[in-house]
Amino acid sequence: MFGADTFHTAMAEIVVGTMVLATVCAVGCASIRYIPVSEDRRESLMVTMDKASIAGATMALIFMPIAIMSGNFAAENTVGNALLYNKFVYSGLALGFWAAFVVGRIRMGPGIWEVRPLGLLQSATAVTAFLMTTMASSIGGKLVRGESLFDVMPIWFPSDSAVVLPLWASAALLVVGLASLVVVFKVGPRTERISQD
Amino acid sequence: MSRALVLASVVALLMVSSSSVANPGGNGDSDRDYTCGGSCHGDPSMSLPSDGTISISQEGDVFAGHAVAVHVNVAGMSLSGNRLLGTFILGSIDGNSDHPEDHGWHVIQDPNGGSSNYVETVVPSSGSVTLTWVLLAPQESGVHNLFAQTHHGSEPNYEGIAYMGVSRGYSIDVMPVPEGLPGLSSDWTAPAYRTSGNDDPLRIGTVNTTSVSVQWMLEGEWSPHDAEVSSQCQEMEVCNSWEAQLPSTMGDTRIQYQITVLNGSFSMDLPWLTMGTGPAPFEGDIWDARVQSFAFACLVLSFIVSLQVRLSPRDGKDELDQTQEVIDSEGEAPPPPPGMEEGPQADDEEYWSRLVHSEDNPGWLWDPVEEEWVADPNFQGGEQ
Repeated sequence: MFGADTFHTAMAEIVVGTMVLATVCAVGCASIRYIPVSEDRRESLMVTMDKASIAGATMALIFMPIAIMSGNFAAENTVGNALLYNKFVYSGLALGFWAAFVVGRIRMGPGIWEVRPLGLLQSATAVTAFLMTTMASSIGGKLVRGESLFDVMPIWFPSDSAVVLPLWASAALLVVGLASLVVVFKVGPRTERISQD
Repeated sequence: MSRALVLASVVALLMVSSSSVANPGGNGDSDRDYTCGGSCHGDPSMSLPSDGTISISQEGDVFAGHAVAVHVNVAGMSLSGNRLLGTFILGSIDGNSDHPEDHGWHVIQDPNGGSSNYVETVVPSSGSVTLTWVLLAPQESGVHNLFAQTHHGSEPNYEGIAYMGVSRGYSIDVMPVPEGLPGLSSDWTAPAYRTSGNDDPLRIGTVNTTSVSVQWMLEGEWSPHDAEVSSQCQEMEVCNSWEAQLPSTMGDTRIQYQITVLNGSFSMDLPWLTMGTGPAPFEGDIWDARVQSFAFACLVLSFIVSLQVRLSPRDGKDELDQTQEVIDSEGEAPPPPPGMEEGPQADDEEYWSRLVHSEDNPGWLWDPVEEEWVADPNFQGGEQ
């Protein structure tokens, strides 16, 4: 048998690995029009990277809740410091960004990359989601080993102190968030698949 | 070119990782045996003897089961860039069961305020540091040995050598306890810190004590203050449970205090102890974190999806705006009504010149050729 922390580490590695693939391919999809390659090759690359990005993001989205839940068990369902609290918060942000990436791509189809503002939004969403995921993973490294790859990088999001909202405020935010989802998906204007003609 | 770039990137990443092997930042204070359980410092192929000197000292008589301050001075060693030095106090150097507790000693306080036998400290620029452990001597009288060991690095250190030094055994003659000699309880350990702003009294466990006095001062002060001490016993001459009221501290403040225990003619000034200030306990709860996290996920998802809808080319079209439909159907436009067909300019002029105005039918023109009425394009509500 193995402990919850080992299982959590394995799940987190799957999530981070697939998200690296998704992010690189998403950025590639958005920027391929600026790469000097032949039209045929560009089209082939576009199709490949689009499929890789959606496959990577979907797989990560499936494994992310497992990673979060196993992290809960690994932390023995307690939050004793700001680092662990921020790990939860960054995980939630990463989940939201990745879900938006997958939803956008599924609803609008591969033609999403043909519309420049949408392509830029999609790649920016992937990059931000990746940063959130990496941050959550790095906090895990900080908690267990006391060091992280972010130590040698110029980027480090705030994590030593946490903005702890009272439960009622978080619950109110959650209600607002759920209502926003209903408005966006049920009440608001519908989107259609974008034609690639 | 691209292959060279990939290769260079991989090599660069490997070089970054190689600079962070082992634990150059230390392992933190803890309880450890000699050589740290087979660390790099104890591996003959990866280590060298330390070039520093280690000396152990202690003042005054040592009585069985009573407090003693043991000073370890380390000087003259080469150090790594962060000047970190790991120092052990040990009851033996066998590689296992070396902790002083395994040899009858009890750690009241280590040099960093905790109760570990291994501590890490940053050596000042003088290159010398003295570390003091406050221990309770073993209950058995006789000669007992203590050892000190050091771990450190060097700068530069291209081969990644770990350095280790160990002292000779320092013999301490533990004398039998005179009857009624007061002291600290063997199950009492000095707290390493109190949380910021906490003014709860300091609990002190003693033996053979009829009276206790406590003096305190903030680190850096020279003149001590008397603390208010109260007994936890009622109408008993000998009491071994006491509470001292020390002021609360904030930030990084460290407070030092000295306990003096009395029993009749015996008066024992115990070594100065230190207590740091810890951060306030974290107030977050697991459910706070879960709900906040899920709320953020929903908000981010709805915000990005609404942005996608806004930027979508299908979005923003007014249902009453049929411009696109009209443009799309331009190729299938119906033919103009008879008489309105586009033709050469000359034909138009000839056509309109033959039409005759009629006062009986304003707004209409009579075509004598086709024998039909044609709407007058210049007619404007009765005024031409």
